[in-house]
Amino acid sequence: MEFACMSVAAIQAGLRAHEFTAREVAESSIARIAAINGSLNAFLETTPELALAKADEIDAAIASGSFADCGPLAGVPVAFKDNMNQKGTHTTCSSRMLQNYVAPYTATCVQRMIDAGGLPMGKLNMDEFAFGSSTETSAFGPTKNPWDTSRVPGGSSGGSAAAVASGMVTVSLGSDTGGSIRQPGSFCGVVAVKPTYGVVSRYGVVAFGSSLDQVGPFARNVRDAALALNALAGRDPLDCTSQECAVDFAASLDKGVEGMRIGIVPSFMEAEGLEPEVKAAIEDAAQRLVSLGVELVEVDLPNARAAMSAYYVLGPCEAFSNLARFDGIRYGYCDPGHANLESQYEASRAHGFGAEAKRRIMLGSYLLSAGVYDTYYYPAQQIRTLITQDYAQAYEKVDCILAPVSPRTAFEFGEISDPTSMYLSDMFTISINIAGNGGMSVPIGLGADTGLPIGAQLIAPAFKDADMFRAAAALESCYEAVSVAPAFADDAASSADAAARATLDRKDGAR
Amino acid sequence: MTQHVTEKDVRDISESVRIGLADGELQQMTADLNTIIESLKPITGYDLEGVEPTFHPIGDLSNVMREDVCKEGFTQHEALENAPKQQAGSFEVPSILGGGDQ
Repeated sequence: MEFACMSVAAIQAGLRAHEFTAREVAESSIARIAAINGSLNAFLETTPELALAKADEIDAAIASGSFADCGPLAGVPVAFKDNMNQKGTHTTCSSRMLQNYVAPYTATCVQRMIDAGGLPMGKLNMDEFAFGSSTETSAFGPTKNPWDTSRVPGGSSGGSAAAVASGMVTVSLGSDTGGSIRQPGSFCGVVAVKPTYGVVSRYGVVAFGSSLDQVGPFARNVRDAALALNALAGRDPLDCTSQECAVDFAASLDKGVEGMRIGIVPSFMEAEGLEPEVKAAIEDAAQRLVSLGVELVEVDLPNARAAMSAYYVLGPCEAFSNLARFDGIRYGYCDPGHANLESQYEASRAHGFGAEAKRRIMLGSYLLSAGVYDTYYYPAQQIRTLITQDYAQAYEKVDCILAPVSPRTAFEFGEISDPTSMYLSDMFTISINIAGNGGMSVPIGLGADTGLPIGAQLIAPAFKDADMFRAAAALESCYEAVSVAPAFADDAASSADAAARATLDRKDGAR
Repeated sequence: MTQHVTEKDVRDISESVRIGLADGELQQMTADLNTIIESLKPITGYDLEGVEPTFHPIGDLSNVMREDVCKEGFTQHEALENAPKQQAGSFEVPSILGGGDQ
């Protein structure tokens, strides 16, 4: 049986009824990853020994009658984006800079997933340092979209989305600075949550944009995502931005949406670049919510159009500062043969960082330089105030907002080559990070033209993430249950074997 | 398109961020940065008179303190584990002043 293709509830029911053991779940996930990862390149490293050890712990608890104490994710295969430290594993950020870096400690989000009973299966591919929307900037090769392997899985958390969509794990973690959880969730047809800034600790997650970054879960249904967020959320003394969060995100899922007011943003729905099939799917989703008793209300976010440029000021400025730590001395790539410190720095960073990372570091440095700061950086922070106020005003009229996640479905490898066009992938997700609100992508079927997954974005006021989950559960109930991407559904998994092995061989050479 | 940065500017930036750029890369980087900076133009077109900046989404967050108690940190061995070069329990760094060519 392919246990990792099952829901959290189904795995736990089976464990409780002694139908199978946690070790069998771990072994099945290990075998499945070995069989199909080669065709997707979602995992950069697997940790079977850690997964089996955790599984044995769960089985011992089941035998002694203390399964209930094992946590909400007991026996569930999980995996982590490769910007999250897990002691003893590589944490590469998909960069040559950190190719040989082995984490000496564990990130709080990773620890909480393991403490909740998750079986840690390994580390997942991403855009280098999370700079990208396609996972094409990974130094270890792109991840492929399980729905169509000629297409990108989105990014930057592309490996996290693909691992869940292909049923290699049940839940994964990603990070989202401008859309990096929600957009790959939409492209790969899985539930993908960026909680409100402050809900999840970022301690031990390699920082990109410290005022924007947030960690969140991927799953194949809303309930699994809520259970994962339950495990993740809450104050961590090691991240001073994390907040107390005594909310059960799964508690409100069955409440229904009768009487809920959901906002539609006309300027989003009329935006240039929004593909007709995506627009139609969002409009259809809105009508389905109406049929469940939702009141649709038009809301205006007049300053959201400035979010893109504000983000591409703030993101690079924060990244420039955060990436200054990679000096090749304490850790990271060190270019050999330099007798002088300055030349060693310059060569190490030149060879360690990829093109997009270099662009963003240099852009950030320019934007923060004297004279330029007042033209871009300071206004971007003022615009952040206006965008936050826009959302606050909208939430006076609505409980949640429904919007597209991405203007289009997954694109082909190499299709978008210039950086500024790639940045448009995040046009509907960025303003949520700027305001610090919660947002999530919920699968709403396949595009009429492309036949590829489309996600609807539900956006909630800060720390009202439970409302977003409630609306998401209702929306989910209007569609066929999401399962594993067709090519990787149970019976198809073995046929992927041969292709997998061929690509595995190639990948081994990459690292 | 306005030229926001020249090749010389980009060379200066690359030196300040300690990223060596080969001559062949300089031209492309200059073109890329100009395109990106041009795309940021909308930010300069807003009337922002009197608008306070928001530097952080959690606006009312001030210094977060903890009890001043000793905690276990990394051992010296752990701190050095990932160092590309080390010597006698320390990070090894090449000469800071001069150092000659190699």
